[in-house]
Amino acid sequence: MSSQNDALPEVESGEINFFDAAVAAHPQPTFQRIREQCPVGKPIPGGSVCLSRYEDVIFALRHPEIFSAVMPVGLIGNKRPLIPLHVDPPEQVKYRKFLDPLFSNRNVLKMEKDVREIARNLIDRFADDGGCEFNSAFAIPYPSTVFLRLMGLPEGDLEYFLTLKNSIIRPLADSSEEEAKIRNETGEKIYAYFEKFLTELEKAPGDNLLSLFITAEVAGERMNREEILDICYLFLLGGLDTVTSTLGCMFSYLAQHPERRRMLVDDPSALPSAIEEMLRWETPVVQVVRILKEDYTIGGVELKQGEAVTLVLGSADTDDEQFANAQEVDFQRTPNKHVAFGGGPHRCLGSHLSRMELRVALEEFHRRIPDYAIRKGEQPSYSHAIREVTYLPLEFEYGSQ
Amino acid sequence: MSDEENWKVEHDGDACVGHGRCYVLAPDVFDEDEQGHGVVKLALVCGPLEKKVRRAAENCPEDAISLHRESQS
Repeated sequence: MSSQNDALPEVESGEINFFDAAVAAHPQPTFQRIREQCPVGKPIPGGSVCLSRYEDVIFALRHPEIFSAVMPVGLIGNKRPLIPLHVDPPEQVKYRKFLDPLFSNRNVLKMEKDVREIARNLIDRFADDGGCEFNSAFAIPYPSTVFLRLMGLPEGDLEYFLTLKNSIIRPLADSSEEEAKIRNETGEKIYAYFEKFLTELEKAPGDNLLSLFITAEVAGERMNREEILDICYLFLLGGLDTVTSTLGCMFSYLAQHPERRRMLVDDPSALPSAIEEMLRWETPVVQVVRILKEDYTIGGVELKQGEAVTLVLGSADTDDEQFANAQEVDFQRTPNKHVAFGGGPHRCLGSHLSRMELRVALEEFHRRIPDYAIRKGEQPSYSHAIREVTYLPLEFEYGSQ
Repeated sequence: MSDEENWKVEHDGDACVGHGRCYVLAPDVFDEDEQGHGVVKLALVCGPLEKKVRRAAENCPEDAISLHRESQS
């Protein structure tokens, strides 16, 4: 099927609503309908072009020379491209060669002891309370505290930090103009915040990432202040929300599937494989966007240069053409080539850190609180796009140990 | 000639982007380099190790790992 851009395949009008709360909580059947009805096209009339099949999504991820990650500046309050996310190879490679070792599996495992202590301290605060609102009690402060410590920022700034992040990702506004205004103002504050610390650390460096950014050489040269700020900006947006959302999705799932949870409580060695499967099934970062650098035909649909294309990672990860029994959750699943962390040259820089944080959180929580459920009479609330479980009321069924 | 079937492990460094599945799933065969990308540390495998490499290969999101029958003389 070939079509003009103004006549791309669409799902029957009004059928799909990504912004619906019930869809955000349980998006897999919606993804299935999109794959069946318009795998390449506009599932939401007037919305952007979406790729929803695994095959097409992984192709786009692996080919930035066609599907570029370079975005128009300013959409998220930024004055310049975020580094390295909004830079394509070959330029991007020099930044990844510098950043990848800092977040390698080996280096991340060295942080595990400190991360575990952060998890334990947080759990201590509510373990004897008989329940908690998981997002505010754990999912938000845990990765954020890890992040502040890693960067070398004061932990007392946590609240301010979260306000900045939230104002970019989920600005509270009635119109898109108002949203843009909030984002731009917040962007200024983010640059100013990091600028202040970089200036202080220049005089008195510490054992942290920001100090390293100041002195490190990237492709034989020190980074200038703007480059460092553009990395910090990305870390703030990419490093906090994603782990918070993933924790919410996983604990919500396990709260509602006691037999699965029991398996993990009894045998924590099953966690790594179970985490991969929950990453696949939940895919908390539902989608990423790319811009077409040339006219390109994919899945028989002709797309035009300059078109913004949404890669629906959540749909790719539940595609029956790629995964056997894709609509079933199997904690021992293999193969499991999910794209919850993306793929290709822009593979999530924090994937190893994230996996470690998730495993430690599940180990520590289950050690103290093996039995938990959604509080009776209540429901968890999910946000869309990045599936943060903004409200996750848990009750601990048998109290703490 | 040997009856033992040996397999040569190949890892495509150009396709690898450092998901790290191989050295987590088959740590006896793969290691990570400084950047966290996979490298082969045991190029010929058989028996249980071959199974582990197959598991690593089928879980590599970039399809960067392959196994080839190594004829022994």
